[in-house]
Order: sequence, then structure tokens, then C-alpha cells
Amino acid sequence: MNNTVLLFVALPMALGLLLIVLERWQRLSSFLAVLIPLSLSGLALVFSRSLNLTFLGQQFFLEDSLNVFGRTIQIEANQLSIIALLYFVCFLWNLPVNSFDHNHWFNSLSLIISGLWVLVQFINPFLYSALVVELIVLVCVPLLSPRGAPAKAGIMRYLTMQTLALPLILLSGWMVAGIETSPSAQALVSRGAFLVLTGFMLWAGVFPLHSWLPMLSEESQPWSFSFLLVIMQVSLTFFFLHFLNQYPWLRNLEQLGIVLKWLGTLSIFGAGVLAAFQTNLKRISSYIYMAETGYIILSLAYLPQGGLDIITMSMLPRLFGIWSLNFAISYLSKNISSEKMELEDLKGIIYRFPRTSGLLLISFLNIIGMPLFSLFPSKRIIWGIVIADNPVFQILGILGFLGFMIAILRTLNILIKKPENGEEKVEKPITILPIALIVLTMVLAGIFPQLFSAPIQNILPSFNNLFP
Amino acid sequence: MSDILNTLPIYIALIAALLNLVRRQWSLNLIALVIQFIFIIPSLLNLYPIQIALIQPFTGIMVSLMLYLTLNETGGIEPINLTRTVTPGEIFRALAGIFLLAIILFFINDFQKAVFPTVPPQHLYLSFGLMLMGILQLGTIREPLYLAIGLLTFLSGFQLLYSALEFSYLLEALFVAVNLLLGIVGSFFIVKNAESGSE
Repeated sequence: MNNTVLLFVALPMALGLLLIVLERWQRLSSFLAVLIPLSLSGLALVFSRSLNLTFLGQQFFLEDSLNVFGRTIQIEANQLSIIALLYFVCFLWNLPVNSFDHNHWFNSLSLIISGLWVLVQFINPFLYSALVVELIVLVCVPLLSPRGAPAKAGIMRYLTMQTLALPLILLSGWMVAGIETSPSAQALVSRGAFLVLTGFMLWAGVFPLHSWLPMLSEESQPWSFSFLLVIMQVSLTFFFLHFLNQYPWLRNLEQLGIVLKWLGTLSIFGAGVLAAFQTNLKRISSYIYMAETGYIILSLAYLPQGGLDIITMSMLPRLFGIWSLNFAISYLSKNISSEKMELEDLKGIIYRFPRTSGLLLISFLNIIGMPLFSLFPSKRIIWGIVIADNPVFQILGILGFLGFMIAILRTLNILIKKPENGEEKVEKPITILPIALIVLTMVLAGIFPQLFSAPIQNILPSFNNLFP
Repeated sequence: MSDILNTLPIYIALIAALLNLVRRQWSLNLIALVIQFIFIIPSLLNLYPIQIALIQPFTGIMVSLMLYLTLNETGGIEPINLTRTVTPGEIFRALAGIFLLAIILFFINDFQKAVFPTVPPQHLYLSFGLMLMGILQLGTIREPLYLAIGLLTFLSGFQLLYSALEFSYLLEALFVAVNLLLGIVGSFFIVKNAESGSE
């Protein structure tokens, strides 16, 4: 196993398959599903400085490439931080999974999916990654479609939209192959850029191609769904950065910046406005995810003004914010036995689950970027740049923010309504520990943002063409 | 004569895709799907040696078989009834499909010259015909089997197009994996629906 590709792609996928066999021993399977991604994440960090490591007098050396069907998959040392982050996401979501209602495939499939997302980043030619993304979409299906229920419209829409993205990405690469040598082919470049952007919009659920997001969130278990969305968001961000880094025709396209600015702002605006009218907590959380995608797109639009730094600064706080929000939703969903999580089901829940309800509200405030919380510093910077650029974006952003405030206030209003049948507290006292830790982390990350951005800084050298 | 021999398989494959779009009879649809995969072989043989040209149709037939076995297991297979009356929905889908195929046929030469100059027009017609039939299928029904058939038709059209643009063993392997997984997902949905329907 002295090869980065075997260690970080093949091994986790093989272990994921093994976990399917071990599924009947749930505890062992869960333990391994926590231990394996944590170890892989740690190993990736250790080797991220050099693939040649001396430890206790022993020398460890990893080869950086592997030939598969005549093509080379290469993972170099400076790219291992991306892998560390992806397996850290897998670890974070596997850690509390047994506390919630979850799909029995989660342990094994989360590991396989993480391995496939790693492969997406490093397959060569990297356009073939579009097919690996399609494989991931298909592997995700058992996690998104709970047992005992028929396949619903959301999962069908999701499969359709994701499959439609595949030809767009593959054709874009073919269409503009060798374009660097013929700079006059402006029409071809515009066509290629259009295909790439539409493909990414379909994959990430960017406004207005987001219809599968709220539908699917309503149908699936929040914990599995949030894992799939977060790991996809992180991976697609890096994948798009690879695109920009590799293709000068795309990154030098004048209109790209303005298109990304509009897409980002409209995603934030659309998500906020739509969230304000929702009566389902899971749908609100899906719109939060959509808005966060909007913030990432805005950061990509402002790459010359330091967008890459904003992405690295917000990456860990964002995934932790979504993690804590879904922690609260999943905990409540299990304990009030509400699969749908309609706001009506949460009536007076604050009297029965004060700590988890508090975490839910704090997570909301954290993720929309309120001061003192972890996402505030990055959002302050991005809005500072946006305001100086175009007041229309500012107005749309404010409206989106107000939409989320309305959604939060509506949730709060339901939470504090006096319940009709009893107000006894049923929350386990032990919950104070993880909840206090989560809130403390959010506040600490807000006060000392560099704590959360430092581990991601190593990723930047992989995108050396994107620095102004 | 050779012209007819060249174009006949293309039209048979497209008619099979159209039949899948129009008629909702599982056994008939699976037979049409197999025919569709068999009749793309001549187009692929124009590009590749037989051992490579057979990969895509062979995978497609395997997936069709997978879907047939699942449907058979869940009791979904009924004898083909060709005398069943035609519904307004079927007429609408048939007209929409024929209209789309006619539009592609009308514009295919210009489109080929402008965008895909290296791909023969007939090959392009078959690819885009299958892709559009697949998309139309996906847009008109929610039943799992038809979702699987729609996705398979769409992907087979795209795979056909891309095979004329670029060849790589890795790409072929990935396409095979995607098609097989799609078959498994289709079967998964069929079983889920059958289980939840019987509860």
C-alpha cells in the first residue's frame, strides 16, 4: 500500500465494501467508520509536506501515481490536504451517527463516497471526473431513499438533473481542447464556458436549477442528506478551482466574473426569499445550503480580490455550521418521532428540548453570519467587497438575509408556543456536553477565525495559477 | 442498397426508443430497450473493432436483463397486449417524439458542420435522437422503470456521441460502471415500490 492512490482511494473503498459485510455488527461497523476516515485524514496531513517520511528511525515512502487503463491518477504531497479535509468530513458525520435515525448503509457508503470524491479530484484527464460524479450520484441513492418508502419525486429529479450535467462537462472539455493555440475562437470559448457553468449549476443545485434540493431534503433523513451535500459542496468547490487553474480560456474569460457574481447573489437572494415561506424545517435547511453555495460562488467571482482566501477561511466554519444545524434537526427528528419535520411538529419543543432547540437557533444564527459566530468574519469580508462593487448585489443580498431572518423568527415563534399536551423536559442531561462544545467552537471560530482557516491554507499552492 | 443498410439500424433504434417513450407495457419496453441496444452496434462498428464496439450494447443488454429479472421477481411482468387501446397521453408523447426527431433530422447537417464536424451526420442523428428521447422520457413520467429506461437511453445516446469524439479504455470502463449501477438503482427502485405497495 505504498502508493497515495491505493492508500487514499482504493483502500477506503475496499474498507467501505468490507463494512457492508460487517453491517450486522453495528457497533463494530460504526467504530470502524469513525476510525478509518480519521486515520486517513491524519495520514494525509502527515504526508502533506513530503511523501518521504522518517518516523522512529523507519522510513516511509509513498509513490504519487498509479496507472489505470492506460491513464495516470496522480496525488502529490501538496494535494493531500484536500484529501485530509474530505476524510475529516466523513469522520465528522460518522461520529454521532448512532444518536440519530440513519440509513443502515451510512457507515459503509459514506466511506465509499468519500473515496470516490477523492478520485474526482485527481483522475487524469480530469474531465473524466464527470463520470465518477455520476457514479457517486448512483451510489448515494440508497442513502437518500429511506427503507420502506417508495421512490419519490425528489430522488428522481435529483438523478435526472445530475445525469444531465454529465454530458455538459465532458463535452466542454472536448469542445475547447487545444483552444489555447487559437485565441481567436471566442465563440467556442463562450460555448465551452456555458456548458461548464450549466453543468456545475446542475450538480450543485444553484439557483434556478435547484428544484431537486428542497424536494430531496423533505424525502430523506437529514443526517445522510447533509453529509452528501456537504462533501459534494466541498469537492465541487475544489473541482471547479481545478477547472479554473487548468484552463486559462475559462479563467481569463471576461464575462465569467460577472456571471458568477449574478449566480452567487441570486442564489443567496432566491434561497432567502424561498426559505421565508417554508413550513418545513428540512426544506429551510436545504435553502441554507443553497445560500452557502451562493457565497462560495461569490468568492469564486472575486478571486482577484482574495476570493481564494475567503474560500479557505469559510470552508471549515461552513461545514461545521451545517453539521451543527443538522445535528439539532436530526436529534429533534428522532426524539419527537417526526420524519417530516414540519414546523407545526415543533410546537413548544423548546420546553421539552431546551438545549437542542437552543442549538438549532444558534446554528441558524451562526450559518447566516451573525456577529460573534464562526461564519461572520468571512461573510463580512465578502459583503465588504460586494458592496464596493455593485449596489444591486448588495440589495439582493440584504433581501436574502432578511428572508432567512424571517424563517428563523417563524421557527422561534413555533418553538416557544405553549404545547397542548404537557411541557415536561425529556432531554437527557448528558446532551449539555456536546451542545456546549459545539457552541463554544462556533464562538471561538468567530473570535479567532485563523484557527479554522490555518489547516486549509496548505491547499492553496495546488491552485497556483489563480493567484493575482 | 448500402445506404439503406446503413440507415436502417439507426431508424430501428430510434423507433425502439420512441416505442419506449409512448407505450407503457413493461415487457414490451424491455424488448424495445434490447432492440435499441442491438441496433446501435452498426454505428459503433463504423468507429471501432468489434470487440470494443460490443461493450456498450452488451452492457445495455445486461442492464435490460437485470431489470427484467427484477420485474419478474416482483410480479410486474405481464403478457404483451398489442391490442390495447391508445390513450391521449400516448398520442401526445408519440407526436412530441416524432416532432423532435423530425426537427433534429432537419437541422442535423448544419449542426454537424458547425459543432461536430468530425462526427458523421447519421451517427450524430442517432446520438441526439436517443438523447432527446431519453430526456423526453424523463420529463413525462415518474415510474422507476421508465426513469431507468430514460436515463439509459439518454446515456447511450451520449456515449455514442462521445465515442465518435474520443476513445479511452478508462472512459469505457467508467461508462460501463455507470450503466451497470444505473441498472442496479432501477432495480432498487422497482423493489422498493413493490415492497411499499404490498404493505
